Amino acid sequence: MHIPDGFLAPGMWAGLDISAALSVGYLSRRAQAGLEEGQAPLLGVMGAFVFAAQMINFPVGIGTSGHLVGSALLACTLGPAAAAVVMTAILIVQALVFQDGGVLALGANVMNMAVAGTLAGYLPYHYWGRGPWRRAAIFLGGVLSVLAPACLALAELRASGVPMPGPVVGVSLLLFLVSALVEGLITLAVVGSLEKMNAGWVRTSTGVNSRVRGALGATAILLASVGALAASILPDGLEKLAGNLGIEGRARTLLATPLRDYELRMISEPWLRKIAAGLAGLAIIYVVCLGICRLMTRKQSV
Amino acid sequence: MQHLTVDQWSRRESFLHARDPRAKLVALLCFLVWLATVPAVTPEVACGYGGLLLAAALMARLPLAPLLQRTAIVMPFAGTFALLSWLSGDSARAASLLVKSSFSAFAVMLAVATTPMPALLAGAERLGAPTMVVTVVQFLYRYLFVLSEKARNMRLAAACRGGLRRKAAGGAITVLFGSSYERAEGIHRAMLSRGYTGRLVMHGTFRFGWMDGLLALVTVIVLTGGRLLWRL
Repeated sequence: MHIPDGFLAPGMWAGLDISAALSVGYLSRRAQAGLEEGQAPLLGVMGAFVFAAQMINFPVGIGTSGHLVGSALLACTLGPAAAAVVMTAILIVQALVFQDGGVLALGANVMNMAVAGTLAGYLPYHYWGRGPWRRAAIFLGGVLSVLAPACLALAELRASGVPMPGPVVGVSLLLFLVSALVEGLITLAVVGSLEKMNAGWVRTSTGVNSRVRGALGATAILLASVGALAASILPDGLEKLAGNLGIEGRARTLLATPLRDYELRMISEPWLRKIAAGLAGLAIIYVVCLGICRLMTRKQSV
Repeated sequence: MQHLTVDQWSRRESFLHARDPRAKLVALLCFLVWLATVPAVTPEVACGYGGLLLAAALMARLPLAPLLQRTAIVMPFAGTFALLSWLSGDSARAASLLVKSSFSAFAVMLAVATTPMPALLAGAERLGAPTMVVTVVQFLYRYLFVLSEKARNMRLAAACRGGLRRKAAGGAITVLFGSSYERAEGIHRAMLSRGYTGRLVMHGTFRFGWMDGLLALVTVIVLTGGRLLWRL
């Protein structure tokens, strides 16, 4: 989903533009290090390929048609960093030439689709790419590469105050789920036949072949993106939980003491409070997943 | 191809076409930021920003109707959410969503329709956009139409054979991937043999003249003046 200009709150697009600039800068350096010298032509032409492949649409169900998004496919062939750069280039051309997505909202779209989408699409392959679950990993990567950006985009719109009643969120999530499954199937089919054509085109997974880490990673992505959405729809969820557990007062003094001055000045805006709640939720999920992952790997290595 | 229209427009001649890409990019970004931070979208705001866009479109001597038609691409998305806002009783937000998204899209299209894409990207690079990303976009734009044409032919051929099923679509995408990859390698080899060092070199030099400075300056002054005097 490409977010046009005029939908996101100023703090939201400005913040996402800055984080997109930083992440794309880092990823393009990694892509340059990972590829042979001066491979920009390859990345550009593969970006054009994704555009062209989107013209090949095929029937899905009755009366609707689907097409490739491509971030998981690119991640499995060019590597995640290069794929993120190609997706960024695609989003830039879509925003400039096709009016698909805004220019100020480019940061948001890049963070959702090029950075989060590509990394989510590659993660299962990174961990399961060499084992018996290889096909499942490619399929799951395709699914996540569509689902995670969709959740993030809905969360950003919701946190910016765009009205989105529950049924609308439900219906759009259902539609995204269908296209995510289609993306998974197409990615699986294309990677499978690419391997038959030329095995060198498909990247060999270099990750540690660990089922536990892969499962944890995929769950973390799902939880993080669904969590962002949930936090934006129900910003009081965490507070309610804290109230039920009876730690509300304590948590509030704990949070308020170091942040009191900022709270007065900055967190008076409702959308900022929502973003802060969402980010805090994400941070908690991240720390929990990291902790579990550390524990699991320690147990394995013993 | 349909989208070549914008490309053809960008090679016409007018006051706006002749300006340096950097000046147009600065003016565009200022316009977008000012529009995005408008406190409340009132009829005066719509008239003010719409007037600026109309003036720019007249300066560019581009046909208005096709420009508007292309801007309407944002309408399905913006219209849906505007309708939702309106139904939930927030008509101010509905107006804001419609005006901001369509005016922004029109402004972006004006910039793209008055500047050839390679020049626009080179201008962005001079303004500090990362070289790697700009180079990738340059190549993407250069081969976009070539590969799309190929995909269109493949789709036509498939339709002649009785249409694409999912499995056949996967095969078609694979074939397209293979030929694109090989084409990219061929292009890269040919470029290396012509002395390519990883940077695209533009023919001709940019000159940021006083007229270019004036364009950017006038845009900023008009926008700031409107904001200070009438809260536009």
